[in-house]
Amino acid sequence: MKIEVTQGKLSKALNVVSKVAASSRSTLPILNNVLIRVDDNKVSLTATNLDMAIVDYLPVSSAENGVITVPARLLAEFVSNLPKSETVVLETKDNKIITKAGKYSSTINGAPADDFPELPEIDEGKVVSFKMGVDEFKVGANQVITASSNDLTRPALTGVFFNTNNNSLYIAATDGYRLAEKKIIEKVESGVAAIVPTASLSEVMRSINDEMDEIEILFDDTQVRFRIGEIEITSKLIDGSFPDYRQLIPKECESEVTLNRAELTRITRLAALFAKEVGGSITCEASVEKNAFIIKSVANEYGENDSELEAAVTKDEKVTLNSRFLIDVLNVVDEDEVRFGFSGKVSPVVIRNEKNQNYTHIIMPLKV
Amino acid sequence: MFDVWKNVLAEIEKQIPRAAFSTWFNGVELIDAKDGIVEIGIPNVFYKKQLESRYHSLIQECLEKNKIEAREIKYTVQSVMKAKIKARETTNGDKVIQRTTARVEELKYDLPKIQNNSLFNSNLNPKYQMDNFVIGSNNDLAVSVAKSVINNPGANYNPFFLYGGPGLGKTHLVQAIGNEIKRMHPDFKILYISTDHFYADFVNSIKNGKGDEFNRKFRKLDVLIIDDFQQIVGKDRSQEEFFNIFNDLYQLNKQIIVTSDRLPSQIKTLDERLSSRLAMAGAIDLQMPNFEDKCAILKSKAEYMGRDIENEAIEYLAENVKTNIRDLEGEFMRILAFSDFKGMTPLELINDGLISPTRTTKTRAVQPKQIIDKVAKYYDLSVKEMCGKSRVANIKTARQVAMFLLSEELQMSTPKIALEVGVKDHTTVMHGIKKIKGDVKINFSLRDQIEDIKEKIYG
Repeated sequence: MKIEVTQGKLSKALNVVSKVAASSRSTLPILNNVLIRVDDNKVSLTATNLDMAIVDYLPVSSAENGVITVPARLLAEFVSNLPKSETVVLETKDNKIITKAGKYSSTINGAPADDFPELPEIDEGKVVSFKMGVDEFKVGANQVITASSNDLTRPALTGVFFNTNNNSLYIAATDGYRLAEKKIIEKVESGVAAIVPTASLSEVMRSINDEMDEIEILFDDTQVRFRIGEIEITSKLIDGSFPDYRQLIPKECESEVTLNRAELTRITRLAALFAKEVGGSITCEASVEKNAFIIKSVANEYGENDSELEAAVTKDEKVTLNSRFLIDVLNVVDEDEVRFGFSGKVSPVVIRNEKNQNYTHIIMPLKV
Repeated sequence: MFDVWKNVLAEIEKQIPRAAFSTWFNGVELIDAKDGIVEIGIPNVFYKKQLESRYHSLIQECLEKNKIEAREIKYTVQSVMKAKIKARETTNGDKVIQRTTARVEELKYDLPKIQNNSLFNSNLNPKYQMDNFVIGSNNDLAVSVAKSVINNPGANYNPFFLYGGPGLGKTHLVQAIGNEIKRMHPDFKILYISTDHFYADFVNSIKNGKGDEFNRKFRKLDVLIIDDFQQIVGKDRSQEEFFNIFNDLYQLNKQIIVTSDRLPSQIKTLDERLSSRLAMAGAIDLQMPNFEDKCAILKSKAEYMGRDIENEAIEYLAENVKTNIRDLEGEFMRILAFSDFKGMTPLELINDGLISPTRTTKTRAVQPKQIIDKVAKYYDLSVKEMCGKSRVANIKTARQVAMFLLSEELQMSTPKIALEVGVKDHTTVMHGIKKIKGDVKINFSLRDQIEDIKEKIYG
């Protein structure tokens, strides 16, 4: 096997792929390797952690057929430290790979490709597929991932739920205390209900770069494949049922207050400083008399905090929230103004963008 | 049938490398076998190809060895959790759970959790699992009791009182029990709390007038795990409160797990009623691992980290680190870090003398005289006083400690030790060493003294 490729392209591809190889929880050493295959001038780099697999097709100037696996991180780090302008030549000899770039060269011991696990196949004739812009996908996925859980005892909540409703495609995540939902495609032809592991989705996000413009998502019964640019990521789906979350989203809030996101973030952070002792609990109030939105927190030992934002308020309201959850959502909403929806002390708070209504984030109040 | 599957797995385990087995067969379950058609459940789709193409004939062979006819094997993806429930259900009366799609029933289970928003946190650290707890002769009893607790919380070993010196894995084992119970009973309320935190919570609750809340928090638990119980010393009201919580939980058959560095009867000022209750289901101890156990621990750690380390290097560490498992692992990580840094294998490092275990090989550099000096000084005696024939109790003990240390730390022969400390013959020395060895197990102040002296010798 022999490949000639520019340092920049190779380094980028190896970086993406080696992250997956390194994330393997298994003790099987070969999973730390990247599989490099050349087949009819088509070069692919493959890595898997047995929850997901990534394949990056590398555009090269010339290549000879062959296949080998080598430690992914070592090769990635070696290549990334080479000068940017060099052309890199990878060549196999026995079970070793020789990397040459101008004056620099290395020999890395590899392992035969036969030991590398065979990856599951997807029959692309029998899948449900969706296409959308990479940017919208990235924004949307970021907005829901933040609400997903890492409690392994409830596997269904450790993923992001892709589902169709009224001919639109939604993604949603919840950890039992908050829930985020985003409509990512307005009109779709086919239906899906599948839970994609949050870890796999994060890997997809990491692989996205500025040169990519479209993402294709394909589902079959047990797996999902994301295709972006030259990269293909295939992941298992979580086998479980996602709660019927739509029932949790209040149809209508009692009252809504529109607030400047930056200002609201500031006063939430200020209040959080004083809320450390009490598990981050802060009180959000709307006052008709003051015409203001107020956040309060009390740290018995250290003192207290009280900040106001001017706002058009129609009804007196009060609710106690975990400040961390509020900060999390304020970090991912994408407009300058947000709507803060109250429905009394024990019902969820709903946070939305002021204009675009396709993102909904709800936070359960704390009992006081 | 499902017991037979265990044998099949054991058979397979023998025939392929351990790393491959733990990767490809962990969570693989038998679902059904009928008329030569075997259905095997796999954790996810990535296993399918591998089992089909690489291990198919092995599985078939091992099934048939165990008298299960396997003309055809089907691999079905199912989550690990479901597999467990399914296996349990099927053994108790052949009920097979139907897969349910997301429906309102699921939600109902979800909703109250969201609404009462207790933010219930069990404090369990997911890194502590039964799978990565290495079983050896030093802890096999504790592990088998732990398993019984996991399978029947609140039934047989209640309370489960676990004791042993620092760094021997008490916290790991009890947290692993918690994690395992949580996996099997996701609705259980499990709390892991250190005695310090228990005390702080209690004091705060009184200060803020929230005693009721504190009461409720603990009394609704299904499993209470309390760590480092010896720290309760001198906190009388906390003891009283714990005693009440203990009784309430115990009467409701809730599992209580307590760890400590010593037996209840050796915790000073511990209320007798409490002391006897803690020990009523028997106290189980974790001991220092022996050489083989230590090797096994390091090997499994290396495997877990996916590192390849020479056996000689592992043996060297096991031989030289004598304090506890935490130090052993610490030393191990240090050598690995060094080896990454220097680009040499651990064994090369050791052979080149580039690495000396922090507080271990120093042993070699210590002279018998130093040990004797330090012991004498520690007990405020002159060397002459100590190394003689005096039968005054404290002098005699000091002398025996010196003998013990000479034997333990320098592996000196008993006749040589007899010469060093000026006693008649080696039988006196043997008696002395035996006495101290026995005493340190029950006399904790003596154990602390010896640790102090060691520190002075090597420090």
